[in-house]
Amino acid sequence: MSKTPASRLKKFVSGALLVSVGAIAQVGRAQETAVPRTAAQQARAWQEIAQEPDLWQGTWQSISPIADDFSKSPDYTPSALAYIKAYKPAEDSPFTNCKPLGLPFVQNIGGMPMKFFQSPGMIAIYVESSGVTRFIHTDGRQHSAQPNPSYLGESIGHWEGDTLVVDTTGLAPDTVFQLGTLSKGALKEGDHSPIASVIFGPHGPNLRLVERMRLVDFNTLEIQTTLHDDTLFKTPYALAPRRFLRGIERRNEPQEWACTDNRDYLDPTTGKLEVNVKDKAQNR
Amino acid sequence: MNQQRRPKLSALKLALVALATLSGPVADAHHSFAKFDMAKLTAVSGTVREFTWANPHTWLIIMVKKPNGTTEQWSLVASSPNMLSRWGWNAADIKPGDKVTVDVHPGRDGTAIGSMQTVFLANGKVLADPAGSTGQALASGPGKLPAKPQGQPYK
Repeated sequence: MSKTPASRLKKFVSGALLVSVGAIAQVGRAQETAVPRTAAQQARAWQEIAQEPDLWQGTWQSISPIADDFSKSPDYTPSALAYIKAYKPAEDSPFTNCKPLGLPFVQNIGGMPMKFFQSPGMIAIYVESSGVTRFIHTDGRQHSAQPNPSYLGESIGHWEGDTLVVDTTGLAPDTVFQLGTLSKGALKEGDHSPIASVIFGPHGPNLRLVERMRLVDFNTLEIQTTLHDDTLFKTPYALAPRRFLRGIERRNEPQEWACTDNRDYLDPTTGKLEVNVKDKAQNR
Repeated sequence: MNQQRRPKLSALKLALVALATLSGPVADAHHSFAKFDMAKLTAVSGTVREFTWANPHTWLIIMVKKPNGTTEQWSLVASSPNMLSRWGWNAADIKPGDKVTVDVHPGRDGTAIGSMQTVFLANGKVLADPAGSTGQALASGPGKLPAKPQGQPYK
């Protein structure tokens, strides 16, 4: 939904006014106003940021299982139920190649942390597991009418008390997406893989994620995501919250992720996995 | 290097591995373990042919001399450099020509592949792969490392 120039101007003026009377801390935070355009407005915006819960220090290591918990069954659409019925787990997940995973699954990977950054109007999250950075607009904008598809989508954030609420649309059709969990009986015997039970599948073009991020305590971040996708779920499905542990040691610092040496080849026709077949894997 | 098996410790270790894999399934998510027998631990000794420090996985290719005089090439996969470096690995730790012993979960199909668990270098350094560890362990680094290989020696 695009705004008229007049409404933008009105929003900016009212925002500037709030800044000038210093009432913004209680009435609304800087990201609900227009982008600061003067040094004084910018200084004020930074002061507002300092009042927010500290998502910024250190990095966040996932301490939840990689697979989301779908034990409370979603209200699936008939087509989703048909997909699940026919689903056969492959010998590997659909991310044996080097492609970024995409939201929401990219944040489920353990072992490689996330790092939050912020400047007035934007929060960024570096997600090491795919070497990608999320850009969350906190300048009060609305979603684009037709966001171009991307692995991380278009994210808009605002604060509700101490909870950062992030709304994401525009997700590419080939993000790695979990739509359910296999029953124990359907699992291959002896596969202890944490992802063996995941039902991966396509999401709809209007997939929308609403994430609620908050600090449970100084060292624990919780993210609860609700999936809106009318091709899969008749009603939005609220995933169980995932938790992340703050790390401040050197080993917890973010690192580069350049995926250059993929050798796992998952034959899409047979579902069989071959390992250490570099040329085959990389020529896909 | 003493590779004598200590059944009691080994059984306990396997139980712990299974437990860690089942209860803390957060790590090494880029591939499944379906190819590997996670209940089995084999100590493979050989000479390094290739050590590739790259994402998504680190590879160690070793040449293993068999008692009958033939040589077998083993392709061993480990976690990403990002994860390994946080557990004390360095790209320069292993070079072609080095003698190593590696505790691996071998391929289910009997081919010479394995998922690395612990690498024992000739200089005494021990490197553990964090795959299958809990998020807490991933954030805080490895605990106590075994002093010597725990797997059944491969012959």
